[in-house]
Amino acid sequence: MVGAITVRPLFATPFGEARLANCERLNRELEALFLGRETEEHRNPTPSHVPQAETFESRFNLFRWPENCVQELRNFMLNAVAQMVIETTSLKAQDIARLNFQNHTWFHISRYAGSFVAHNHPLASWSAVYCVRTGEAVAQHPDSGVLRFLDVRQGANAYLDPANATLQRAYALAPVELKLEAGQLVIFPSYVFHEVTPFYGSDIRITVATNCWFA
Amino acid sequence: MNAAPLTVMPILATPLGIATLADAQQLNPVLTELFAQRAAADPAQARNPLRYTSSDDLLEWPETPVRRLADGIAGAVYSLIGRVSDITEAQLRSCKLEARAWVTRVRTNGAVPAAHHPLTAWCAIYCVAAPAAAQDRADSGVVRLYESRLGSTFQDATNSVLRIPFSASHYAWRPVAGQLVIFPASLTYEVALLRAAEELLLVTTRLRFIAPGQQGFARW
Repeated sequence: MVGAITVRPLFATPFGEARLANCERLNRELEALFLGRETEEHRNPTPSHVPQAETFESRFNLFRWPENCVQELRNFMLNAVAQMVIETTSLKAQDIARLNFQNHTWFHISRYAGSFVAHNHPLASWSAVYCVRTGEAVAQHPDSGVLRFLDVRQGANAYLDPANATLQRAYALAPVELKLEAGQLVIFPSYVFHEVTPFYGSDIRITVATNCWFA
Repeated sequence: MNAAPLTVMPILATPLGIATLADAQQLNPVLTELFAQRAAADPAQARNPLRYTSSDDLLEWPETPVRRLADGIAGAVYSLIGRVSDITEAQLRSCKLEARAWVTRVRTNGAVPAAHHPLTAWCAIYCVAAPAAAQDRADSGVVRLYESRLGSTFQDATNSVLRIPFSASHYAWRPVAGQLVIFPASLTYEVALLRAAEELLLVTTRLRFIAPGQQGFARW
C-alpha cells in the first residue's frame, strides 16, 4: 500500500575531510618548527580557556609565518576550506575569489593527559583541524586524543527506542568521534562544539587549527 | 605533496521520509466523509471553528478505511527505519509498535501551533486533503519543521548561502493529498496559517517501538 519512500537528510551539519598525500616530509618540518617555538614568546597570550600545562597553544598568527612548510600547509588548508564552501553553498570559485578570506590559525602540542575542553568558535564560519602528528595509540585508552563533535540537535536523543537508537552514521544520535591521522584534515562549521579528549600517549600529539570567515 | 579530493558528507542530520500511499485516491474521499461524520458528533469541534483536532484514538477506530490508513502509515514508518537504521528487519518486527493518531482539520485563517511529542520516536503526518497553494501567502498551510541548530548566530558571505540539507533555516513541507511525511518526534513543528478557501485535512501519528521484555514505558 505504500509507494517507495524518499529519504533525505535535513538540518545536517556539513563535514569535510581531505588527506594530504606524501605528507611525511612536511609534517617532519612542521613538527621541528613547532617544537622549536614552544616558548613563551609564541604562546597564546590571551587564551579563551583555562590553559593546561600539558597542552601548548600558540598565538593565532601561524599562517603569517614565512617559513615554507607553514605556507605549504596554509595553501592546503585554506584551499580545502574554499573547496568546502564551493561544495556546500551556492557560491562558485569566482565568487569566493572576490571575498576577503580571513583566518586565525594556531598549533597545539599535547603531552600525556593533555586535552581541550568543549568549545566552539564565535565570529568564525568555518573551522578546520589538520593533524601533524597523531601521537602514540594506547590500547587501554581507545579514546585517547579523540576529536569529538558534540551533537547540535539538542534533545534529539531524549527518547531512544530500539529503532532510533541505531541510526546510521549521518543520522546517529551520538557525538561524532575521530581519531585523526597524520595528514588528515577535517572541516566543519565553527558553531559546532568540539573537544579533544585526554591524550595518553607517551609522546606528543600535534595539530594545526584554523578559524575562517569571509567578508 | 598531493591533496586528495575533499569529501563532504552530512553528519548530525535529521532523517526525513516522504512516501505516497498507493491507494490514496480511493481512500481519501472515504476518509474525508468518515472524519466529517465523526467530527459532527464530537462536541470538541465547537471550541475552535478554525481548527478541529479529534481525540488521539484514531487507530482504534474499526472502520475499514481507517484500518487501511493505519497499515499504510505503519508500512511507511517501517520503510523509513529500514533505510536509516542499522536495526534488522527481524529485530524491528520483534518490537511492539505503539502509536496514537488524530485528525486535524484546518480552515481558512486556522493554524496548528508549534508542538513536539515527548516519549515518542517518530511523527508521521498524512495528508487526506489539501487546498491549492495560496497566491497571497507562500507558506499557507505548510508543515514547518523548526531549525534547532545554532549556526545562524554568525553568518558571513559563505555560510549564509548554504544549500539544503546544510542551510540554516526552517524546513517547509507542503501537504499533498496522499502523501505522508515522517520525521523524529523530537522536532518541533507547526502548521502555518492557512490562507486558502478549502480545508486542510491531516492525520498525525506518533509512534514508538518497545523491545521484547522492555519495561518502564508509561502509557501516553
